[in-house]
Amino acid sequence: MIGRVTQTMTSDQLLGNVQRLQRRLLVAQDTLSSGKKLRQASDDPAGAALVNGLRAQSADLNSLSRTIGFGRSVLTAQDDALGQAQDILVRAKEIASQQAGGLATATTRQQAAEEVEALERQLLTLGNTAIDGRHVFGGLASGTAPFSDFDDPGFDPLNPYTGPSGSFSIRTAPGTTVRLTTPGDQVLGSSIAALDGLRQTLVAGNSSTASIDPLEAAADGVRAERASVGGRARQLGDRASEITSSVSKITARLGDIESADYATVITELTQLQTALQATLSAGQTLQTSILDYLNL
Amino acid sequence: MAISDILNAGRSSLIAQQRALKVNGNNIANVNTPGYTRQRPILEAVPTSAGGGVRVADVEQIVDRFVETRLLGQSSTAAGASARRDLLEGVQSLFPVGDASVSGALQDFFAAANELSAHPEDLAVRNDLLDRAETLAGKLRSSAEGLGAVQREADDRVTADVADANGILSRIADLNRSIRVEEVATGSSANELRDQRRSALGDLAKLVGIRTVENDDGSVDVYARSGVALVSGSNAARLEARLGTTLGLDGAVLHDVGVVAPDASLIPLGSDPGGSIGARLGVRDDELVAQAGSLDAIAVTLRDAVNGVQTDPAGRDLDGLVGSALFAGTGAADLTVALTDPRGIAAAQSTTGGDNANALALANLQTTTFAGLSGQTLSGAMGALQSDVGASVRNATDAATIEDGLLANVQAQRDSVSGVSLEEEFTDLIRFQRAFQAAAQLISVGDGMLQELLGMVR
Repeated sequence: MIGRVTQTMTSDQLLGNVQRLQRRLLVAQDTLSSGKKLRQASDDPAGAALVNGLRAQSADLNSLSRTIGFGRSVLTAQDDALGQAQDILVRAKEIASQQAGGLATATTRQQAAEEVEALERQLLTLGNTAIDGRHVFGGLASGTAPFSDFDDPGFDPLNPYTGPSGSFSIRTAPGTTVRLTTPGDQVLGSSIAALDGLRQTLVAGNSSTASIDPLEAAADGVRAERASVGGRARQLGDRASEITSSVSKITARLGDIESADYATVITELTQLQTALQATLSAGQTLQTSILDYLNL
Repeated sequence: MAISDILNAGRSSLIAQQRALKVNGNNIANVNTPGYTRQRPILEAVPTSAGGGVRVADVEQIVDRFVETRLLGQSSTAAGASARRDLLEGVQSLFPVGDASVSGALQDFFAAANELSAHPEDLAVRNDLLDRAETLAGKLRSSAEGLGAVQREADDRVTADVADANGILSRIADLNRSIRVEEVATGSSANELRDQRRSALGDLAKLVGIRTVENDDGSVDVYARSGVALVSGSNAARLEARLGTTLGLDGAVLHDVGVVAPDASLIPLGSDPGGSIGARLGVRDDELVAQAGSLDAIAVTLRDAVNGVQTDPAGRDLDGLVGSALFAGTGAADLTVALTDPRGIAAAQSTTGGDNANALALANLQTTTFAGLSGQTLSGAMGALQSDVGASVRNATDAATIEDGLLANVQAQRDSVSGVSLEEEFTDLIRFQRAFQAAAQLISVGDGMLQELLGMVR
């Protein structure tokens, strides 16, 4: 406890209090105007580390969601192409059945052979389906098409695929990937071979009975691949919505740590202003001194 | 008892009260003078045998030695805490919270790597990855440079502090001499000079921690915390900031601080010299070096991890070749991007186009933990460094606030003992004024008596 009170003490203390209040007011005003309670790391060191981690996570998720979006478009393109391939195989099987029976003649088989050739060309085109110049059945390689052209002199219906043998995967989570592509020969190889078999049988004017089974087997293969594509597309879709909800949770967490609560800040600001006014008006009473009462 | 004694008593009182009023007036005049110590006249009755009356025996200063010592100690601590806070706040601005930071650049780099894994052949994506790498290296470099600049600032300030301290040391030595001379000559205490010496000691304490011992002859000896003498009597030692052998973060030599010994060697000030010199040396040699070390660890880990994937013998660039190192440098301060050709990024692990196996490995580095970073990821280590810097700023700010508060308390105690109170001074003023009036009255009574006697003679 202090005994004597002197003029310097009173004014120093007043000044100290005013400055302390003004410093706090400055912080409160900055918090209010920036809307952030975490303005720099020293405001909340643990929170700063947390914010860092959350931001990194959210940046990774946002970037993943972009590549997943791309992956979904690739799988959708594959699904469309495989759907059309199924239609082609259905039509081919119809032709094979029609040209198997006794009603068929050399002429009808010749005509049918032309249709089958058109179907085969169509299937090869489907095998070269591309998004932005990148082939969805060719390991997403750009540049040359993975399936060789029907009119190529070296065209081999049993080995029409010239693309890469590897598949292409994208990241869906840290350390996890989902396969986007399957090498085209595994997907459409047997279908092309079956179609070409039918075509050659018809060109030769023979009955197409033997071609029905390979066509059915090829159609089963395409159906299975389409199911697999659909499954992976669903996986990416689920992951995309997971990411969306994770990002919004992270954003909410970030808000909790970083953003100022306006009600609290405004209340504090008002309290500080009142305190400052009170302190300053206390300062006015300091002007009263013994001199007012002495009549020297 | 003679009438002359009455007159004599009145006269001595008139003189004594006037001197007392003079001291009083001096106090009132110095009510706002920083470092002024109030003075008090010591009135003493003159023995009747010596003619009686009153005299001012001495004018003393009201000082509490212990409070003064505490004030010096607290000044050192508070000045040190403020110096520390100011330097560390400079460090904090190098690591802002948000996207402008190294962390933001790190996130962008890995986002670009992830994008590359989806579009491994796209030159625009490859170019973007190189740009992000450039930005990241630039951010790391500028953070490291910033740390170096803060360290250099600390060093420069210490050098300036040392120059200030030397000026104060010789002033204290001079004042010691003047005080001794004046006090021997006049036989009373040299109050104004002592005030000046007290404020010089206060200024010195802000620069470096000191201990003082007052000698019988009125001089004050000053020692550093380590026990080295800074002032003995009228001799001042000399502090020096001399270029040492330790290299700073910016590659230039830092200063060693110490007292110059007779053989011109430097006697160090000990592990904790205190004051702003001690605080600045501490930040310069401990915090900043540790933070630069963490930043270097992050840069080196990033360089090795990315280069490891890039130069993996299985990896292939767009031309089917094994990649060359992407980052070059020895630490955060000189990290650069060595790869200039976007085709040179080894995104594939085969020569067939569209292979992204190596790009996937690159993107996965984002969530890889490294032993060199105490089992943290790159961005985790960056967050830890940021949090570390934030915590040190916070501690320093809190300490500075607390120490300032304590200093204000001790200062208030000193003012309570040694400060001028106008109320007190004016009350004394009235006391001495009335005593002066009474003494004058006494003389006029004596005069009346003398007149009376003279009248009888006529």
